[in-house]
Amino acid sequence: MRKPQERSAPYWSALGCVLSVVAALLFQAAPTRLIEGITIMPTWPLMVIFLWSGLRPYFMPPIAVFAIGITQDLLTGAPMGIWALSYLVSISVFRFRGEDGMPRDLPPIVLRFGGTLLLAQAIAFSVGFFALGEMPHLQPLIIETIASILMFPMLAFLAVRRRRGSRSGFIGG
Amino acid sequence: MASRRTARHDAEHGVRFSRTIFIMLIVVSSALIMFDRPASRSVAFAGFRASFTDIAAPLLELAAQPIRAVKGIGPYFRMQGDLARENAELRQQLIEARYWEDLAYRQRDRIEVYESALNVQTQATQDRIGAWTVADPRGPFVHARLIGRGRNAGIADGYPVINLYGLVGRVYETGERSARVLLLTDLNSNIPVMVDRSNSRAILTGDNSEYPRLQYLGRNPDIEAGDRIVSSGDDGVLPRGLPVGVAVPTRDGGWRVELYSDQAPIDFVWVWPYVPAVIPQREEAETASAEVETDLPAPAETAPVEAGDTAQPATEEGGQ
Repeated sequence: MRKPQERSAPYWSALGCVLSVVAALLFQAAPTRLIEGITIMPTWPLMVIFLWSGLRPYFMPPIAVFAIGITQDLLTGAPMGIWALSYLVSISVFRFRGEDGMPRDLPPIVLRFGGTLLLAQAIAFSVGFFALGEMPHLQPLIIETIASILMFPMLAFLAVRRRRGSRSGFIGG
Repeated sequence: MASRRTARHDAEHGVRFSRTIFIMLIVVSSALIMFDRPASRSVAFAGFRASFTDIAAPLLELAAQPIRAVKGIGPYFRMQGDLARENAELRQQLIEARYWEDLAYRQRDRIEVYESALNVQTQATQDRIGAWTVADPRGPFVHARLIGRGRNAGIADGYPVINLYGLVGRVYETGERSARVLLLTDLNSNIPVMVDRSNSRAILTGDNSEYPRLQYLGRNPDIEAGDRIVSSGDDGVLPRGLPVGVAVPTRDGGWRVELYSDQAPIDFVWVWPYVPAVIPQREEAETASAEVETDLPAPAETAPVEAGDTAQPATEEGGQ
């Protein structure tokens, strides 16, 4: 039996999902290098996709993951399809499949995200090698990976905390 | 209500990742990667990308505002001592710059005299187009920036982009209101350069690292560490003499360039609407010279006007 609040319209959650995706994409492309000293950039879109696919799987169908990947490709100037393909494959491999979706403990979430991230970066690297005809620069990928692994637990902690607070989910619903 | 509950129930218990759609999207992604490779990108794909950036540019511009604000706050937190020292250095540089300014004006006047004597139509005096960086995505694949001005402002593919310190890159994928700038560090960037001191030619090739490579220098290149590297203009796309950077030797005996444009974050840039001088057809040139010879005995009119400035070249010609 669901609680009354679970039956409420998930519009706020949907809005939160859309806003977080847009913010992640914008921040990924934003000229943050203008600020001296800040040159690291985690893969915000993958974090958002991963969290929402665990919290509200029906907000992250394959077409949404594909659209986010393509948008990132276009914003970053990369050949279209690189990030779309890597996100699709990595999320499909590591997404939470249980009835409860994402667990409420942090370590398994972080571990699973680590796997998703590594697979996504590996696919992006190899596909990028094919698309460019030259070896992509490894350093930005490594920096992105490390920054993402460092940053993700904070976001995951917030998500899990909200999830514990309201049984149904993340924001709103 | 019931249908919504059913939909949610279904979504959370099973139909989350449709396998058919997933496979279809994998195929679409692979096809896009095949057809959107930078080396063989079609006009349609380039147009689509430019249209997308046109749409995204205002949003990116909006998102960049807070970052610019944070950048402005930074100097307030610097040590006062540093500011005082910096101020003194700037004053010293200003004094030196006055000398160069005076020299530049004199050279400009001199060039104008030469141009009028030779009847040269140069593009060098065209106004540069200022533009803000609205997106600065980083990644392993492409080193490019998105600027918030496009064809509407007179920007076109191939135009060189410079900042306060030197050459940044050149324009590609120009939209109506936005354009992408391919940085010198990008894998696809190859520009002809030369050593300012010795005029040794080379190709500056980006490899997505911070220091692009100098290639095709020859067997015994006349280059030393710290030499100033400038664009040679050999390709006819970039003007000659744009400052690029400083030569840096590598451990394997090669050379790389520390870019001048990296001295500060690339926030505001100028796009130079440079149109290379077109070499006139031989026949046209000969016809024109024949007309000049037959129509007028011109040297007597022009010679006294530039007597002071053209005396030396005239002497040299006479000597030869």
